[in-house]
Amino acid sequence: MSQAATEPILEIESIAFAYRDKPVLREVNLDLAPGRILALLGPNGAGKSTLIRCICGRLQPDSGQVRVAGANPLENAAARAATGLVPQQIALYSHLTVTENLATFARLAGVARNAVDSAVAETVDVCDLGAVATRPAGRLSGGWQRRVNIGCAMSHSPRLLILDEPTVGIDPPAREEIEKLLTRLAGNGLAVLMTSHDLAQLETLADGVAFLSEGRIAATGTPSGLIREFFGARRDCRVLLADPPTRELAQRLGALGLASGDRDALHWSGLLDEQPAWNLKSALPADAPVTEFRVRRPGLDSLWTRLYGRQPERVS
Amino acid sequence: MIATVARVMWLGLLRDRGALMLAFVLPPLMFLVFAEVFSGAGESDLEMRVAILDQVGTPLTGRIAGAITGLDGIVAVPDRPDGASSVADLEALVRRGQADAAVWLRAEPDGNLDADPPVVVIGDASRALAAAVVTGRVQRVLQSEFPSLGVARAASLIDALAGPYTEDQQEALDLALSELDPAALEEQGGDTSQDGLVAQRLLGGGREIDDGVSYYAGAVAILFLLFAAMQGAISLIDERNSGIVDRLVAGPGGYTVVVVGKGLFLILQGVVQAALIFVVAWWLYGLDWLGHFGTWLITAVLAAAVSAWLGLLLASLCSSRQQAQTASAFVVLILSAVGGSMMPRFLMPGWLRELGWFTPNAWVIESWQGIFWRGDGPAELAAGWGVLAATALGAMLISVWLAHRLAREK
Repeated sequence: MSQAATEPILEIESIAFAYRDKPVLREVNLDLAPGRILALLGPNGAGKSTLIRCICGRLQPDSGQVRVAGANPLENAAARAATGLVPQQIALYSHLTVTENLATFARLAGVARNAVDSAVAETVDVCDLGAVATRPAGRLSGGWQRRVNIGCAMSHSPRLLILDEPTVGIDPPAREEIEKLLTRLAGNGLAVLMTSHDLAQLETLADGVAFLSEGRIAATGTPSGLIREFFGARRDCRVLLADPPTRELAQRLGALGLASGDRDALHWSGLLDEQPAWNLKSALPADAPVTEFRVRRPGLDSLWTRLYGRQPERVS
Repeated sequence: MIATVARVMWLGLLRDRGALMLAFVLPPLMFLVFAEVFSGAGESDLEMRVAILDQVGTPLTGRIAGAITGLDGIVAVPDRPDGASSVADLEALVRRGQADAAVWLRAEPDGNLDADPPVVVIGDASRALAAAVVTGRVQRVLQSEFPSLGVARAASLIDALAGPYTEDQQEALDLALSELDPAALEEQGGDTSQDGLVAQRLLGGGREIDDGVSYYAGAVAILFLLFAAMQGAISLIDERNSGIVDRLVAGPGGYTVVVVGKGLFLILQGVVQAALIFVVAWWLYGLDWLGHFGTWLITAVLAAAVSAWLGLLLASLCSSRQQAQTASAFVVLILSAVGGSMMPRFLMPGWLRELGWFTPNAWVIESWQGIFWRGDGPAELAAGWGVLAATALGAMLISVWLAHRLAREK
C-alpha cells in the first residue's frame, strides 16, 4: 500500500467545542485511514453529532483542528467534496427515481454535468442498485432506501463516508446487505466513519471503535483489542431466576461475583474468570430457581455497560 | 447546480397532480369567477376620496362644494375643496388613482333646462362603481340640502311645456323658492328631482373590454402567485426534516444554491401562472395583453419574484410543514385582502387603503392596471417596480442569510 493510501484522510487533533459555555467536546483526537471503518459510539449527548458536524464543516471547533483530505472542511470546499454524509433519516427526494436522486446529489456535490451519467452508473454498480434504478425512491422498501441513501452520498466519489445509524429500522437481511456494502466500499479504499447502536454488528464490521463519554474519547481501539484490554480472559456471566432469591442464595450469588440491578433480583450478571465462569452452574444450590445460565465472551455491549454504567440502548 | 434544483422542483410539480391543478388550472378558473361576479358590482355606502373643483366660485356653488365635502364617507382630495385648479388636474387625480372620483362644479345651477348639467362627476372607467356611488351621493345632497334647485327646474319645465308664467305667478314662485324649507318639503314627501343637474363622465373609456377585467386579472394573479410560491417553498422544510439539508451542507455546494435554485424555479412558475390568467383575459375579454407585453412581463417577473422570496423567507423561518402551511395561508389571505386582491381598494376605508401599500398585491395590481388601463409606460411604472424589486431583493437576502446560517452554525 502506498504512503498516500495509508495517510489518514481524517485527522482530528485536540478539538474542543462548547455550546453556550457547556463543553460538548473536550480534547478529542482521532485518525481515520483509507479502507478503515471506525465506529463512533456513545449514549445520546456524548458529543457524536457535534463531532460529525465539526468533521462536515458545519461547526468551527473552539480549539484544535479538523482536517479532511489535509484541509479544514469549514473553509475548504475540496475537503467537503471529499466527504459523503449519510444522515440517519432517508434523505432522498421520494418523487425522484433512484438514478434521478443519484444524479441530483452528484450535481449538488459538484460533479460536472458531463460526468454525472458515468458517476451515476458507477454508483449503481458499486452499491448494487441496478434492480431498483428506475423506481421512485419513495416506493422502495426500507432496506433499499437505506442503500440508496448510502449511494447518494457516494455519487460524487468521496474519500470519507460518514454514516449516522445506517442500519436503524431495517430487518436483519437488509442489515446484512448494508454490512456487505460498507465492507465492499472500505475494501475499495474508502474511509468509513459511522455511528451505530448495533454493537454486535460493529464487532464484526468495524476495524476500530471510539467510545465518547461527556465529550471525551473514553476508549478507542479495535473491538477485540478493547475487549481484551478491559476484560482479559474473563467471561460475561448472566443468571436469570424464576423467583426472587432467598437470602442465602442472594449471598451466594454475590460471593461468586455476580450482582443484580433489578428490584426483584431476578437478573444477576458479572464478569468472572474463565474457570469460575464455567463452574458457575455447579456452584449454585441444586434447588435454586434458575431458568437461564449464560456464559459468553464479553462484547462491545459489555464494554458499553462498563463505561457508561448502564445497558446500551436497544437497536430498533 | 441551480438548474438541477430547479429540475427537481419541476419533476416534483409534474408528478403531483394536486399541485399541478393548484398551480395552473385553479388560477384562471378563479379569475373567471371573480371577473364575472365583481365586474357588475353595485353601489353601496362607502368612503370615497373625492376631488372637487368649484370653477364658478359663487356663494351657492361654494355651499354645494361644502355640503359635498361635509358628507360622511366623503374625503376631500386634496384637503381643500378648491385644491384642484383645473379640470385637467381633476382628471389627473382620478387617473392616478389619488381620487376615486371628482366633482366639477362648472356652472351655477339654475332653472335653465337647455344648459349642460352644472355638476359633473368625473370617474375612471376602471372604477366606474366609485363614480356611480359619488354621483348618487351628489344627487342626494342636492336634493336634501338644495331642494329649490329641483323645484326651479320643474317650474322651468312647466314654463316650457305649458307656456310662460304671468308676472304675479313668477313673483310668487320666486318667493316660494326663496322660502323653501328642505325639512318641510321632506315631511310632505315632496319630489325635488335633480334630473339634469348632475352628469357623469368616465375617463379611460374607448376600450371595448369589461371595466373590471384588467383589475381582476392582476388581483387574481398575485393572489395565486403568493399561494403557489408559499406551497412550493414549504419543500425547504421537508428537506430540512428529511436530512437532505444535512447531506447538502456537508458538500461543497452548500445550502445556498438550494435556496437560490428554488427561488428561480418559483419565479418561473409564477410568470407562467400569471401568463395563463392574462391569456384568458385576452382571449375572452379582449384585454390587450400582447400590446403591452414588455411592461407586463417585467411586472410579472417582479410579482413572481416577490411571491417566491416571501414564500422562501416564510419557509426559512418556520420549523415545521404544518406551521408553514398555517402561516402561509394567513399571510396570503391577509396580504390579498388588504392589498386589493379580493375587492378593489377604493371600496375600503381610508386607513385600510393606505395600509394596502405595504402589501405586494397593491403594487402589482396598480402596475398592471396602469399598464392596461391608463397605458402607463416604464417611467410611470418605475416607482411600483422599484418597491417590488426592493421587497424581492430584501426577502431574498434574508432567506439566503438564513440558509447560510443554517449551514455554518458557528
